[in-house]
Amino acid sequence: MDKILLKKAFPQWVKKLQAYRIYAPSKDEDIWTYETVTTPEDIDLEFLTTALSPKKIIFPQREVYLEFEKADEDNPKIKEILPDDDPTIVFGVRPCDAKALTLTDKVFGGDFEDVYYWKRRNQTILVGLACNTPPSPNCFCLSVDGYPHSTEGLDILLTDMGDKYHVKSLTKNGEKLLNLAKSLFTPPKTGDKKDLQKIHAESEKKIKRQIKNLKKVPPKLKGMWDSPFWDEEAMSCLRCGICTYMCPTCHCFDINDEVHSSVPLKGQRIRTWDTCQFPDFTMHSSGHNPRPDKASRLRQRIMHKFQYFVEKYANYQCTGCGRCITNCPVGIDIIQVLDKVRDYGS
Amino acid sequence: MDHNAYIPKLAKIIEIKEEVGGARAIKTFRTQFLEDNGFSHQSGQCAMLSVFGKGEAMISISSSPLEKDYLQFSILKMGRVTSALHETQVGDIIGIRGPYGNSFPIEKWKGKNLIFIGGGIGLAPLWSVLNTALGKKQDFGNLTLFYGARTSKDVVFKQELEELKNKMTVHLSIDVEEPDWEEYVGFVPLNILDKKPSPKNAITITCGPPIMIKFVIQNLQALGFKDEQIYTTVENKMKCGIGKCGRCNIGLHYVCKDGPVYSWAELKNLPQEY
Ligand SMILES: Cc1cc2nc3c(=O)[nH]c(=O)nc-3n(C[C@H](O)[C@H](O)[C@H](O)COP(=O)(O)OP(=O)(O)OC[C@H]3O[C@@H](n4cnc5c(N)ncnc54)[C@H](O)[C@@H]3O)c2cc1C
Ligand code: FES
Repeated sequence: MDKILLKKAFPQWVKKLQAYRIYAPSKDEDIWTYETVTTPEDIDLEFLTTALSPKKIIFPQREVYLEFEKADEDNPKIKEILPDDDPTIVFGVRPCDAKALTLTDKVFGGDFEDVYYWKRRNQTILVGLACNTPPSPNCFCLSVDGYPHSTEGLDILLTDMGDKYHVKSLTKNGEKLLNLAKSLFTPPKTGDKKDLQKIHAESEKKIKRQIKNLKKVPPKLKGMWDSPFWDEEAMSCLRCGICTYMCPTCHCFDINDEVHSSVPLKGQRIRTWDTCQFPDFTMHSSGHNPRPDKASRLRQRIMHKFQYFVEKYANYQCTGCGRCITNCPVGIDIIQVLDKVRDYGS
Repeated sequence: MDHNAYIPKLAKIIEIKEEVGGARAIKTFRTQFLEDNGFSHQSGQCAMLSVFGKGEAMISISSSPLEKDYLQFSILKMGRVTSALHETQVGDIIGIRGPYGNSFPIEKWKGKNLIFIGGGIGLAPLWSVLNTALGKKQDFGNLTLFYGARTSKDVVFKQELEELKNKMTVHLSIDVEEPDWEEYVGFVPLNILDKKPSPKNAITITCGPPIMIKFVIQNLQALGFKDEQIYTTVENKMKCGIGKCGRCNIGLHYVCKDGPVYSWAELKNLPQEY
């Protein structure tokens, strides 16, 4: 369903959404993050790429999922800790980050459904914002089957049209949010449709970075397991792991027990984001490590995103947000790495 | 399927047997769930054991699925969790979740001679499938076990191995000479070259340290065994056990789901990441 919402009516819409916990982009010094907001005035939709994607709302960086307790002679007691039941809206989701959630869906779904992930995922409505201009100079969504105005994974897509938003509702949940303030949304006029198409077409042209012929990369990678390429590319890596922590599609985690009292025993089992870029990620307790160096870990990151995931799910595990490029302290640039893979040996 | 795969079920330790003492201590534990929960496994599968406050460790289930009264685990003391398991007493409660992974395709092996080849703690995953085969002995041809340990003190399941000699062929070995040792002295792969098992109508199943597995496979090939006749297990570091935490992969395989059991025909085509 396509509608028009005047920008000046936006706060009235948000006021009708009080039953929901609302996250929106918010600026802390010069970093954009998603934070909970209480008034419509706190929602700023003129934002650049956020430090972390909204993945952190569905799959938090640190999550307590079990509590345990044992008094002296008693048997231990364990308690499953589930996320709260609060229905949630995220405003200002970039199309690449929404698409990223459709990829983590594949991992957390399947034959063992991850109840923590899905509880939050199912109670969260995603209101996207099309990128009329790229929010980062390193955006490259067009190269990985994305668009700056893609609707994949979203419930609603807003497009900024000056003094109004074009509002495309895509799911039942999206519809529900519009119905809460029906009178604010008007049907688009004949000119609006044309303007929208023009804005979307121009937004594509503004994306400067691209990987040509990425299609050639997955089959190429298959033959590059033993290549010295990985040593060369990983040379400057500081193994800080920021490329994976900032990534909206990375999903690796660690599980640990935290003890708050030893007698009587009380503590929590937590999961925290982890990264394939750290040496102990794969190290056995014998000390043997199947991925012992930076080269094998960079290879894992690239192979996972552009070969294994493609073979398994027919999608790149990358949505072109550019965060890993912007944040790498030594300038390892995934676009350049993939360009080199494509041209390697030819 | 369980509603929440991450939550362990409580189980009581009903028996502890010290197999090996010293720095590389191994103990065998038998456990029973406090409540019946439909846990049912196949040979080759593993379970995630919890000591609350210490964490979790992935351990092969060494009892056969034919054994309904308890689950058995043989555990080498390594780090935090396995040391805490070694400190438990009979009657203590641990957590168990699983079973995880694929299993040995024992149904496909009917009518064949089975050769089990284990080293060190690697006898634990073999023990389940070996006992399943013994329990259905009429379904299979000859059963043979090769088992080696560093020293005679490091041999696990000592008494069971003695009893086993009445039911199947058992070739034991230790790595270096000892005064009272009457069987083979030398590494497991060499014992295989020494005894020369026949590849005819045979399947081999080998578990142990990666370096042993590598040479066992080389020597089996030298004796004429084909890739499809050689099975082994892979033990990469694991946390979730259900293909989510991204830790245990070999190429596009998650060992916790797609493994740990592989035929060499499959494994040789995967990257060397184990
Ligand atoms: C499929 C599979 C089957 C196994 N079967 C057995 C068995 O039957 N008997 C046995 O004694 N051991 C077995 N292991 C090895 C056992 O899981 C590790 O020795 C154990 O996890 C070490 O944990 P820790 O806390 O004592 O050591 P630490 O070094 O303190 O471990 C720290 C963390 O790393 C993880 N970790 C470290 N090394 C390994 C490793 N090699 N494999 C998996 N996770 C590791 C642990 O989960 C732990 O959370 C098996 C491993 C796998 C993957
Ligand atoms: S152990 Fe987590 S993916 Fe295999």
